Amino acid sequence: MNAMRWAVLLVVLLAAATIALGVGAVHITPADVVRALAGRADATLSTIIRNVRLPRVVLGVGAGAALSMSGATLQGVLRNPLAEPYLLGVSGGAAVGAVVVTSAGVGAPAVIALAAFVGAAGAIVLVLAIARAAGGKFDPRVLLMAGVVVGAFANAAIMIALANAPGNNVRGALWWMMGSLGDASWRDVTWLLPAVSVLAMLVFVRARDIDALALGEEAAAGLGVDVDRSARSIFLTASLLAAATVAAAGLIGFVGLVVPALARTMGARRARDLLAASALIGGALLVLADAVARTLRAPAELPVGAVTALVGVPFFLVRLGRVR
Amino acid sequence: MSSFRIISFVGALVASFACTSRERDVARADGAAGAAAAGAPLVVDAFGDSVRTTTPATRIASLNPATTELVFALGAGDRLVGRTHWDSYPPEALAVPDLGDGMRPNVERIVAARPDLVLLYASAENRAARDALHRAGIATFTQRIDRIGDFAKAIVDLARAIGDTTLAAAVRDSVLASVASAHSRVQGLPAPKVLWPLWEAPLMAVGKGSFLNDLLEAAGARNIFADLDAPSPNVTFEEAVRRDPDIVLIGASGAGTIRTDPRWRALRAVREGHVVAYDTLIVSRPGVRLGEAANHLAELLHPGLRGK
Repeated sequence: MNAMRWAVLLVVLLAAATIALGVGAVHITPADVVRALAGRADATLSTIIRNVRLPRVVLGVGAGAALSMSGATLQGVLRNPLAEPYLLGVSGGAAVGAVVVTSAGVGAPAVIALAAFVGAAGAIVLVLAIARAAGGKFDPRVLLMAGVVVGAFANAAIMIALANAPGNNVRGALWWMMGSLGDASWRDVTWLLPAVSVLAMLVFVRARDIDALALGEEAAAGLGVDVDRSARSIFLTASLLAAATVAAAGLIGFVGLVVPALARTMGARRARDLLAASALIGGALLVLADAVARTLRAPAELPVGAVTALVGVPFFLVRLGRVR
Repeated sequence: MSSFRIISFVGALVASFACTSRERDVARADGAAGAAAAGAPLVVDAFGDSVRTTTPATRIASLNPATTELVFALGAGDRLVGRTHWDSYPPEALAVPDLGDGMRPNVERIVAARPDLVLLYASAENRAARDALHRAGIATFTQRIDRIGDFAKAIVDLARAIGDTTLAAAVRDSVLASVASAHSRVQGLPAPKVLWPLWEAPLMAVGKGSFLNDLLEAAGARNIFADLDAPSPNVTFEEAVRRDPDIVLIGASGAGTIRTDPRWRALRAVREGHVVAYDTLIVSRPGVRLGEAANHLAELLHPGLRGK
């Protein structure tokens, strides 16, 4: 990837964030957006921009970037372009945690986030334990199988929890599973951004290992990589990236699967480039999708998880057409 | 750590979070001195928030159709600056700006309406909106009326929260008197066994936890699923057949299906033509029309009462 392409991606992300700040259920002119950011608009507009929209946009950038980096990493390590954060039990585990508390009538966002994270982390540990018991060595196929199995078990648990829960609680759980940035607050941002930054850093320093592992275990071992240990810890870090996002925004599908592919069509090859490009594209895509989700049928909202696919698929097809 | 211990640890953690109902004072910022505020009446809502009524709320957003009805009944309808998309009663409510849904409401829209008090439906789903409104410096008051028995307290609490209690007792007494009048009309009449489906597939019926069950009792009937605690439990069709209701009570739109669908002929009540359609505009919300609803049902379930 050349400097020009990086500049384009950066501009796209900034443009997406600017557009997202400007649109919403309440019409606010660009001039008023700037005034509100500078603290010179009237109290109502300032509150809407600074307390409602800005944390939402920042959370969108963080969550989109995290999911995309998680997907890019897992696709490399597992040598499978269909690998995505949610295939490996993370979504299932997180959903079990969130649904158990929401179907019991708990609505406090902090409790749901905590339960989701605990569920996701539990599922990751379980997947690793199953893979270890089944093969001992790091084997992408065994890991994928373990993820699918844990996911299926989680699904069953969710259906049982929801089948007899009161209607309002089912709606709450369903909304959570469809993913939303609607409950974003600065409090979410202040823990998600540092968590994502640290985890992303941990993945970046292993970019060389990811490149080596993508060549196959023997080749990687030949290059001096401790395949088992390295692959396991990268897998764990990438999964935690997804788990943190899920805790903050529920299940947002598609981003982790397609954004890395999109980055590849733009010429990102080495893991370092792929991760950085995925983060920029993912942040922009999620923020744009969220802007669409909250304006298309305003004041009602659409599930952002569905809109990411609606917005992302055409993009992907166009890129695919150009590459062919 | 065994999985059981992990589960109980998480359970305890969640419980400890859930129990810290915030007693945060969300008094409307009116610049009143602390001494004056301390003496003002305090109302605690369904989320555990306290609202101090130092001055009456002047700009109210009501995001629960049942509450909107009550606000109008309390004579404060002219202070409403927002309602939900689903509000339809009283007709004057339609002139109030529509702010969208009452469940997971659009916070941006609410803030733009510049309310000093937001009335929310007390569902777990609305906790995030309540948090967001508090962060924006707007007071909230959350309520839900599940049973007729909740109504008396709810109307008085609401009146105190909006800072206008003049009409509260009168509204409360007239609604409860109207429910009682329905009940006295059916005294001594045989009570039919009623199945009240709220949804046909999967079958969900009125249970004990709903005000609709209370309305049935007030109207002199017995709900065949009054033993189930939930407001709208899922029940099996087989069990409904086994309990053999005398009457199937249903909203006008669903009556046609039940009368013509061969499956429903398994019920004696349907075969004998005892499918009774009620007016869903009258029997809809646990609000000021509870008495009207009880009388409407009493007349439907006891045809001899009509015109008396």
